[in-house]
Amino acid sequence: MVGESVVGRMLKQAVAVAAVVLVLLPIYWMVNMSFKGRAEFAALPPTLLVQRPTLENYRDLIVTQRFDRFGLNSLVVALIAASIAVTIGTLAAYGLSRFRLPRNLNYHLLFTILTVRMFPPVVTVIPLFVYYRDLGLLDSQLGLGLVHSFSEIPLVVWMMIGFFRDIPRDMEEAALVDGDHRLAVLRKIAIPLAAPGLAATFILVFISSWNEFLLALILTETRAQTLPIAVAAQITQFDVKYGNLMAAGVLATLPVLVLAMLAQRHLTRGLTVGGVTG
Amino acid sequence: MEVEVIDPRRAARAPWWERNLAWLLVTPTAVMFVLFGFIPSITAVLYAFSRVRLTRDGITRELTGLQNFRRAFEEPLVADAAWITVKWVAAVTVAEVVLGFLLALLLTQNIRWRGFLTTLLIVPIIMPPVSVAVAWFFMYEPNFGVFNYLLGLIGIDPVLWLSDVDIALYAMMAVDIWQATPFTFLLLYAGLLALPHDPYEAASIDGASPWRIFRTVTLPLLGPVLMVVVLLRVIDAARIFDKIYIMTRGGPGTSAYTVTMKIYIEGFRQLDFGYASALSFLFQIVLVVLATLYVKRVLVDYSAPRD
Repeated sequence: MVGESVVGRMLKQAVAVAAVVLVLLPIYWMVNMSFKGRAEFAALPPTLLVQRPTLENYRDLIVTQRFDRFGLNSLVVALIAASIAVTIGTLAAYGLSRFRLPRNLNYHLLFTILTVRMFPPVVTVIPLFVYYRDLGLLDSQLGLGLVHSFSEIPLVVWMMIGFFRDIPRDMEEAALVDGDHRLAVLRKIAIPLAAPGLAATFILVFISSWNEFLLALILTETRAQTLPIAVAAQITQFDVKYGNLMAAGVLATLPVLVLAMLAQRHLTRGLTVGGVTG
Repeated sequence: MEVEVIDPRRAARAPWWERNLAWLLVTPTAVMFVLFGFIPSITAVLYAFSRVRLTRDGITRELTGLQNFRRAFEEPLVADAAWITVKWVAAVTVAEVVLGFLLALLLTQNIRWRGFLTTLLIVPIIMPPVSVAVAWFFMYEPNFGVFNYLLGLIGIDPVLWLSDVDIALYAMMAVDIWQATPFTFLLLYAGLLALPHDPYEAASIDGASPWRIFRTVTLPLLGPVLMVVVLLRVIDAARIFDKIYIMTRGGPGTSAYTVTMKIYIEGFRQLDFGYASALSFLFQIVLVVLATLYVKRVLVDYSAPRD
């Protein structure tokens, strides 16, 4: 902007940096506390940077409470959810972006797909619970993974339609003229060209499933319990081990943070359909 | 190399699956929707009009007409839950959109390390809600939580953040605002960056003040994006469950029973599936309206294949 004063610029810069610091503080505090031993944890004033870092909280979680099992459950559930949702959703996205179905069905299908995304899971979870009980899918990784994949299909369809649209039409048409059929074109041209988008979509679905709480709480119990539920279970009515709690929070966050960095470029597009939040 | 002779009858000779490929591609999605969306929804409606009992060898169901709904409208806790949810949605949405907008306006200015700051700013979005909840749960801890420590420094008595009926709900709103403001920021920031330059140049040639430019150029141009962000937040905030469940189990008492919390309690604590289904049915009706508005908005230019 013209005529902006130096003071004004510095002020804006300071506010921007302050906002970022404010956003990061709770995360920093959780990480900081997770490395404190019992004595330092209760110290007042609290030490701003851990003085005698220890891994005892993490050891207690992983060795004593077997958090590796919950982590593995979360991993398997998220992989099932992402694989199924990405496969099925990509096919639908390709169909919807390359063919025109009669009676404006493209619009109606997409409309339904996105509307379903907006429905609260608490509505369908009661019948699902009953069905799962009969089918023996309660408290199983597959059962939870399937429900998650259903909730994430809209995200996949939405993102992949966008990526397929970015592919120049003539490349596919050339192959069609050469006699390849549509599926071969999808496999040989569309998928390779949309590969980065496909990977980002996979990651977003993975994160979404990894973070999900309500369905995991209701549909799993002991065998297939996921990490978020195990973290929440650290808060009991009586003695809360805060050190463990902080370490558990960090453990649940680490994988998604790494994955999100890989998919960062496509985050905005994914979020437009409420991609990653609750 | 063989050259395929173009044959007008080729289409007719193509295998059935190739002729119906469009349908086949959307079929798996449709099947998933029927299995996990449609059938459970129908069942939920059925439950809503029934008394449902879980027994050891299955489920028994008897129709009871409108009884569950009558109970829903008579129980004060249901009205409370609806009111608490409305309060929650209104407060967090306004706070998140206003704060996110301010941040977006700030970061689209001439700021140093813009990309880096933006990257850091959006970290909360992808964090598991459970991690966010436990981080704040500890900061709210009355004895050695950081908030009471800071209050103590300026001579204010400790606050029972999560166990005071008058405070807990608002304390938890703050957690949601912390996690979702980066989300509104990101969408509005992307929206601002995508705005055309010409109107701004015209306005600055006319010598318009920044406030005037904001009101007459930025706001109208950003309107559709703003609308999407508000709707998304409303729809998402209305189903709030995880943070409240983790931090207070809906308490203290029933003071933080949102609609989803109430349904969860009725369904999976009281095991009254019929009543819980009736409540969720009513809840869904409200959300269908909002969801439809939102999807219509988003779908404006995504409806048909590009030609």
